[in-house]
Amino acid sequence: MVMSETTDSPIANPVNKSLENENIAHGEPKMRARGVDVYYGDKKAIDGVDIDVYTEYVTAFIGPSGCGKSTFLRALNRMNDTIPSARVTGTIELDGEDIYASGMDVVQLRARVGMVFQKPNPFPKSIYDNIAYGPKIHGLAESKPDLDEIVEKSLRRAGLWEEVKDRLADSGTALSGGQQQRLCIARAIAVDPEVILMDEPCSALDPIATAKIEELIDELRGRYGIVIVTHSMQQAARVSQRTAFFHLGHLVEYGHTSDIFTNPAEQRTQDYITGRYG
Amino acid sequence: MVEHTVKAFDEDITRLRGLIAEMGGLAEVAIQQALQALVQGDEELAAEVVERDAKLDALETEVDAMAVRILALRAPMADDLREIVAALKIGGVVERIGDYAKNIAKRVGRIEGRSHFEPLTLLPAMGELAAEMVHDVLTAYAARDPVMAREVIERDDKVDAFYDSIFRNLVSHMVENPATISSAAQLLFVARNLERVGDHATNVAEMVHYSATGTYPDDIER
Repeated sequence: MVMSETTDSPIANPVNKSLENENIAHGEPKMRARGVDVYYGDKKAIDGVDIDVYTEYVTAFIGPSGCGKSTFLRALNRMNDTIPSARVTGTIELDGEDIYASGMDVVQLRARVGMVFQKPNPFPKSIYDNIAYGPKIHGLAESKPDLDEIVEKSLRRAGLWEEVKDRLADSGTALSGGQQQRLCIARAIAVDPEVILMDEPCSALDPIATAKIEELIDELRGRYGIVIVTHSMQQAARVSQRTAFFHLGHLVEYGHTSDIFTNPAEQRTQDYITGRYG
Repeated sequence: MVEHTVKAFDEDITRLRGLIAEMGGLAEVAIQQALQALVQGDEELAAEVVERDAKLDALETEVDAMAVRILALRAPMADDLREIVAALKIGGVVERIGDYAKNIAKRVGRIEGRSHFEPLTLLPAMGELAAEMVHDVLTAYAARDPVMAREVIERDDKVDAFYDSIFRNLVSHMVENPATISSAAQLLFVARNLERVGDHATNVAEMVHYSATGTYPDDIER
């Protein structure tokens, strides 16, 4: 008997630890990384990571500072391209398509694999324009009514519509921190992404705003593949169904969140999550 | 075991484990003394056992409070989490073991003509086995030793066999000596209580195994 496997899991035998064990899989992964190394100059920041990301599950990346989890997250939509010394080897596929292939349109990729950052970073524009900007440049809206609809739908999905519907012309930066973060999530949603990467999305927010984001993440699960990097073990336990523990650039353990937090397979994972690290 | 970065967390856990160990010691002594009182007809000792059970109850309350506090304040994970959950359950079970000892002690004054009862010679041996299970399972708990826990579980069969034998013995005794039925029935309950002590020690052993390994002993019927 294993404690508290989430009821949504279709997996017959939840006693699963290793990445090799196929039980971790569910259908086709949305993103598939194999043998991924990331270098900053000569320094190897990520070493041979294999991982699958599923739309059905929120995947949390945990690990101490400098373990490479954010570096790996940024490799998933080629944000590392903006760092001249960064180099990625191995393969990362989105729906079976290599995102590092030479023909890949990076702008398009980042619309499909959106990102939400630690610090809310709305454009210094109106709430409406914050959402409408992406759909406009990606040509997702034919007309003003189309755009209005996308804006409303995105804000609703981000749980922000009721709070801002009467002041869409106000500046996005005038919102509270939690609202700004939900605005950024709405902005990511607006271009109809397939995966949303979140790098510490709640670390600058108070507990109420954090709870709202976590609730939002749970609502968005299933519609989008979601990967969240968090330093809060409790948050990883609350929002994710799959957890990956990174340490010194290695993926130490990847498995069901309920297993990782009740009975991890690896001693290093155990030491980290129980506060015995180093 | 490697220490936590936050030292106070280790202190909390050590304290919780100390409380459980203290409960286990009290429960073991309670069983032994209840049996001793029963065999010797020592009502004074029996009263002591009954009285001392309040201490076990108080310790259980303390274990509960401590465990809840750790859960709330430390948000334990993995083996720590299992440790706290196991402590919560073990505290409850050991308290129940104490209740069985108390129940046996309460019956001491109700047995008449004790020299006629052959089962009275069997009960101490059964009690010894049950008390040993309690002692050893608490040792396994202290050592976080799943192998020893499993060994305790396997011993429960012996206690059950004792119970069957004493049961048959008492029933035939009652048939032959209807005048002693009331006293024999008391002994039947004593045997039953000891059998339950064995079951509860088994439950503790399962929790020790779970706490240490994250799994229950799977090849043993639960």
